[in-house]
Amino acid sequence: MYNFVEHGGKETSTINEDPVKYEQFMKRIEAGEKIEADDWMPEEYRQTLIKLISMHGISEIMGALPEKEWTPKAPTLKRKLGIMAKVQDEMGHGQLLLRVAEDLIKPYGKQREDLMNDLLTGDLKFHNVFHMETRTWADAGVVGWLVDGAAIISQTNMLDASYGPYQRALQRICAEEVFHAQHGEAIIMELAEGTEQQRNMLQDAVNRWWPALLMFFGPDSASTTGSSKQEVTTKYKIRKSSNEELRQAFLDKYLPRVFSLGLTIPDETLRYDEEKEYWIYQQPDWNEFKKIISNNGPRSKERIRLREISYEKNRWVRQALAPAPAYS
Amino acid sequence: MTVIKTADEAKQDRAYLQSLTELLYQLADDDFIISFRGSEWLGLAPHIEEDVSFSSITQNTMGHAVLYYQLLEELGEGEADILAHDRSSEKRRNAVYLEKKNGEGDYIEEPYYDWALTVIRQYLYETFKKVKLEALLQSSYVPLADTAQKVLMEQTYHLAHWKTWVRQLQDSTDEAKSRLQFRIEEAWDEFLDVLELGPEAKEMEKHQLIVSEEELQQQWLADVKDTLTYIPDKPLQKTNGSGRNGEHTEDLTQALNTLNEVYEMDKNAVW
Amino acid sequence: MGERQDGSAFYQEYEVFSKKSDKAPVQHQFSLLAPNEEIALSMAQENFMRRENVIDVWVVPRNHIRSMTSEERQQWTKRLNNKDYRTTKGYGYLKRKWREKEQDMLDEKEILSWKEVKKK
Repeated sequence: MYNFVEHGGKETSTINEDPVKYEQFMKRIEAGEKIEADDWMPEEYRQTLIKLISMHGISEIMGALPEKEWTPKAPTLKRKLGIMAKVQDEMGHGQLLLRVAEDLIKPYGKQREDLMNDLLTGDLKFHNVFHMETRTWADAGVVGWLVDGAAIISQTNMLDASYGPYQRALQRICAEEVFHAQHGEAIIMELAEGTEQQRNMLQDAVNRWWPALLMFFGPDSASTTGSSKQEVTTKYKIRKSSNEELRQAFLDKYLPRVFSLGLTIPDETLRYDEEKEYWIYQQPDWNEFKKIISNNGPRSKERIRLREISYEKNRWVRQALAPAPAYS
Repeated sequence: MTVIKTADEAKQDRAYLQSLTELLYQLADDDFIISFRGSEWLGLAPHIEEDVSFSSITQNTMGHAVLYYQLLEELGEGEADILAHDRSSEKRRNAVYLEKKNGEGDYIEEPYYDWALTVIRQYLYETFKKVKLEALLQSSYVPLADTAQKVLMEQTYHLAHWKTWVRQLQDSTDEAKSRLQFRIEEAWDEFLDVLELGPEAKEMEKHQLIVSEEELQQQWLADVKDTLTYIPDKPLQKTNGSGRNGEHTEDLTQALNTLNEVYEMDKNAVW
Repeated sequence: MGERQDGSAFYQEYEVFSKKSDKAPVQHQFSLLAPNEEIALSMAQENFMRRENVIDVWVVPRNHIRSMTSEERQQWTKRLNNKDYRTTKGYGYLKRKWREKEQDMLDEKEILSWKEVKKK
C-alpha cells in the first residue's frame, strides 16, 4: 500500500549506474512513459518497487486474515456472502501484486516460495493494521469501512504510477475497492442505526482502531522514525503525495462521515484548522508503530503462524504437482 | 404425474408438503454446511490462486443453500436467515460427513487443515450433487425443478474443478496417493448418509419429488468409479450416524456456535 | 530453480486471456502461477473475471510467448507519420465529385450497412 518502504532494507544508491542509461530512464519517467518488467531500470528503482509491491501484496494476503476471523460468523446469509467475496478479493489483490513483485525479483532467481519464506522469517513486513485484533463484528465493519478507506486513499494516489505492471494491477484493485467501501459502509450503517449494544460495539471498535488508522499512512517525516524513502517514490513518479498529505486527505473524507453517524474520535485535541486547512491531531505512538511492524503487534505472531501452518501443511500438495525438472 | 406449480398448491397436500419440506432441508443444509467448512478454509489453501477459486465455489454453494432456504420460506417454514442461523442441531438435515471439521485445530488458531480431506469430500459431494440435481430436473415440484436447473448451470464448474484436483493428486507422488487413499477409506465409512434421503425417502419417490435412493446411489457410484483409481473393497457406511434423521456430531455443534455467534447476540437486531 | 526439491517448481507462470462476448476479441487479463495448464485453467476465470462475462478463457505458459524485448519495443513500434495512403484521408474530394454526378459517396457507414441485401 505504501510506505513502510521506509523501514528496513539496505540503502541503494545510483552511483554505480550507467549514467547514459540512467538519464534515458529518467527522461522516460518524466515524459510519463510506463516502465515494463524487462525494461532497463536503475537498481534503486527496482529495489524500491520490490519493497513497496511485495509489502503491498503480502499485506493484502495478511489483510485477509483479520476479517476472515469474522467471515464464518457473519450474522446473516447476505453478510456471510458479502464478507466472503470481500476477503476473497483481498486474496485476489495479493495475487495480482505478488505476481508483479515476482517478475521484479525474477532476475535474482527468486520467486513466490522466497516471498513466503521472507514473510515467515520476518524479512518481509506487512501493514501495521493487519497486526491488530478484530475483537467483534464491528471490527469487521471498521476494517471494511475505514481501513479500506485509508487503503483506497493511498492506492488511488498511485494509479498513475510509472511502473506499468503495478499501475495496471492497481486499476483492477481500485475498481474492486468501490465494492469494498460500500460493503464496509453497509455493515457500519446498520450498527450505527441499530440497538444501543450495536452502537456501543461500533464506537468501541472505532476507539480501538483510531491510532492504527493514523499510523497507516506512515510518519510525516524522516525525523519521526529515522529514515524515509518518501522522496524516492515521488522522484520516480511511483506516488504523488506525501504520507501527511494522504493522511489529511483521509481525515478530510472520512471524519465528517464518522461524526455524521454520531460517533466520536478518541482524541480531544482533534480539530480542523480553518485557516491552514488541515486537521490537527494527536500523533500516534510511532515507537509502537515500529514495534508492530517488526511483528511484535497484538496479533502478529498468530497471523504469521496461520500462514506458516498453511505453508507447511500444504507442502505435500506443491511437491506432488511440481513438474519434474527437465534435464537436458 | 401431478405437477405442483406453486408453494400454495403444495400446501394443500399435507403429505406432499412434508416430503417436500424434508427434501428441501436436506438440500439446503448440505450446501450450507459444506460452504461453511469452505469459508473456514479462506486464506489457508495450498496456494493463493486456489484460495481465490475455491472461495468462488464456496460462495456459489452458499448461494445455492440460500435458494433452497427461500423455497422453504415460501412454504411457510420461516425466514431464510432464521432457517440458516437459528435451528438447533437436531433440526438440521445435512449429512454428518459434510459437517466434519476440515482437520485438527480451529480456523483462527492452529488450523491443521487437510487438503486431501477437502479434495475428496468436495469431489464426492459435487459428484453426488450433480446426480441429484439432474434427477430434480424432473421433480413434480416445479419451483424445485427450476432451481435445480439454475444450480446446475454453475455447479458443473465446481465438479470439474475438484475432479481436476483428484485426478492430478491420485496420479502424483506416493505421499499424495496415500493421503488421498486414507481419506477415501474414511469416506467409504461415512458417505452413505450423504447418499440417503432419510425416513421420507419412499414418500419423496411416491410424490415424484425425486427418484429412488438406489437409483441415485448407483449413478453416483458409476461416476465415482470413472474417476477414482482407488475404490475401497468394502460397503459404504454411515458410522457417524444419520444426519437425515437429525443425528449429528460435536463438529456440527462447533459449526453452529461459530456461524451464529453474532446472530445470537441479538436475534431481533438488524445486522 | 527446477532443481529445488521444496515444491517450488509448482509455481509455473501462465498468462491468462479471455473473451467477453462472441463479437469481442480475446484480451489479455493477467498472469497466475499453477503447476500445469489444467489447474491454471481451472483457476483463471475466478481469479480475474469474477465480475465480468466470459465466454472463453485461454491459458498460455509464459515461456511459449515470444514477445518483443525491451529494445524491440523501443525500436520496432515507431513509424513515420506518412501513411495516409493506407487510409481514407485524402480521398475526401470524391464526395464533391460524386455530388456533381448526383451520387453519394460510399463511406464506412454506407459500406458496413450492406450486411443486409434485398431478398429475391
